[in-house]
Amino acid sequence: MRLGVPLVLAKSLEGDVVQIVSGGLTDVGRVRSNNEDAFRILEPLNLFVLSDGMGGEAHGEIASSLAVETIIRYCSDAKEDSGVTLHGASNENWSEKTRRLQNAVLDANFKIFQSAQNNPEQRGMGATVTAAWVNEGKLSIAHVGDSRAYLLRSGNLQQLTNDHSLVAEQVRRGILTRQQAEESDMQSVLLRALGAHPDVEVEVDEAAIYPRDVLLLCSDGLTRMVTEPEIAGTLQAETDASSAAHKLVELANDRGGLDNVTVIVARFQDESKGWRSWLRRGSAKKD
Amino acid sequence: MAKLSLMFENKLVKEVPVGSRPVSIGRSPDNDLPVDNLAVSNYHARVYVEAGRLVVEDLDSLNGTFVNDLRVERATLHDGDSIWIGKHYIKVDATADAAIPWDSGRKTAAPKINETMVLDTKARRDMLQQAAAMGERSQPGRLRMPTLVVLSGRVDQKEYVLTNKLTVIGKSPMATVRLRGWFKPQMAAQINQRDDGYYLGTGDKVPTVNGTAIPGPVRLSDGDLIEVCGVRLNFIFRE
Repeated sequence: MRLGVPLVLAKSLEGDVVQIVSGGLTDVGRVRSNNEDAFRILEPLNLFVLSDGMGGEAHGEIASSLAVETIIRYCSDAKEDSGVTLHGASNENWSEKTRRLQNAVLDANFKIFQSAQNNPEQRGMGATVTAAWVNEGKLSIAHVGDSRAYLLRSGNLQQLTNDHSLVAEQVRRGILTRQQAEESDMQSVLLRALGAHPDVEVEVDEAAIYPRDVLLLCSDGLTRMVTEPEIAGTLQAETDASSAAHKLVELANDRGGLDNVTVIVARFQDESKGWRSWLRRGSAKKD
Repeated sequence: MAKLSLMFENKLVKEVPVGSRPVSIGRSPDNDLPVDNLAVSNYHARVYVEAGRLVVEDLDSLNGTFVNDLRVERATLHDGDSIWIGKHYIKVDATADAAIPWDSGRKTAAPKINETMVLDTKARRDMLQQAAAMGERSQPGRLRMPTLVVLSGRVDQKEYVLTNKLTVIGKSPMATVRLRGWFKPQMAAQINQRDDGYYLGTGDKVPTVNGTAIPGPVRLSDGDLIEVCGVRLNFIFRE
């Protein structure tokens, strides 16, 4: 079990200081013998990364660790050295941070693929990844696979990512209902994953962050066991990010813990303009 | 079965039922409800049943179609509503509709967690092609843009096409539908896109849909009337 309780001050789009308090937890669950999930929270960057690995013989662990570490390193390097060139087909009007995050995921994909090429016993290993980067009130999300990002806003839990699974695609095309998808035997069939090919299509999105929003990243070990209303209720009830993460993992295990479960919770607190305003001058961690 | 009663100055002019066929309304005598008045266009509006809801649609008329006191392009109708066309009004006699409530169940069946697999390129293409073929059969999919048409209230635009997953109605400069005026909340209400449609949720305020305050996130239907902070919006799908 790994815990993180970082406290960071960041600027919102309106220039108000928004305090970000986060916590994360990963657990092997009640059935599996090893944990192939991985996560990291990089506080100074407000960067959150979560990965769910797959592949026989514990190679899933290698894939998910490689995914998380590569993305952390890529985003950190780019920050320190602005000479790093952006590669890959970055399109549209995404912000620079979103495009950089997308490239970081592409890099992770390539590293996993390469590792499997160089080590034949790792053949078939892969991972999902979901990464979130908050910069001046704007949230950038990049993901491949079926690990999810959610946003809780005023009691409404909204899934931010589209699952890259076969059943989710069938729901989107109107072939299955959500209910049928949740009961399907084919839930674990993915259409996209890191490491399967040298290239992968990384889905990205952006959203504005409002004070009192709560961001959740999780592997499917959570959402297969716990319903969305229960997740929303827990995120609202537990005002401490770490406690919320703990509680969610506990719920997943109470309900059977059939898979590894990993959870990252980031709370965007309302920073009142009163006595804290003196902090704004010195502390704004500009990216 | 719903019923429309065409009235002029409190006198009944004509009454028609609304069944599987739409009811046409206009000055031309070949309409189901002909309205003999110069302020009414030849083919002014129509009323039809869609997904269990009674809907009125304005057919680009010159002087507009009004539901109670609101000019609409398309709106869901409820028992007791009046459709105003020129100086005539049409009384709506129907059973009341309710917004679809949020369902919070617990997961009952133990899910089967199989080993994750990634479909290889050929298998994936085959599966998706099958899926695509079935999808096309079940949905003749014309492109429909979810749109909020402003009926009244102080906001920054006349209408909004919903392109994002998260839409905020509020005073915040980041909001999509920006409320103007003093004492408006930064985030009054939200409309979020899910796989199966668009859901209206509360923010700092509780919005109403077709006159009823929402108990929780509510799925929006074509023609719904949303009201929050003195702003009235018509949610429609534009083709």
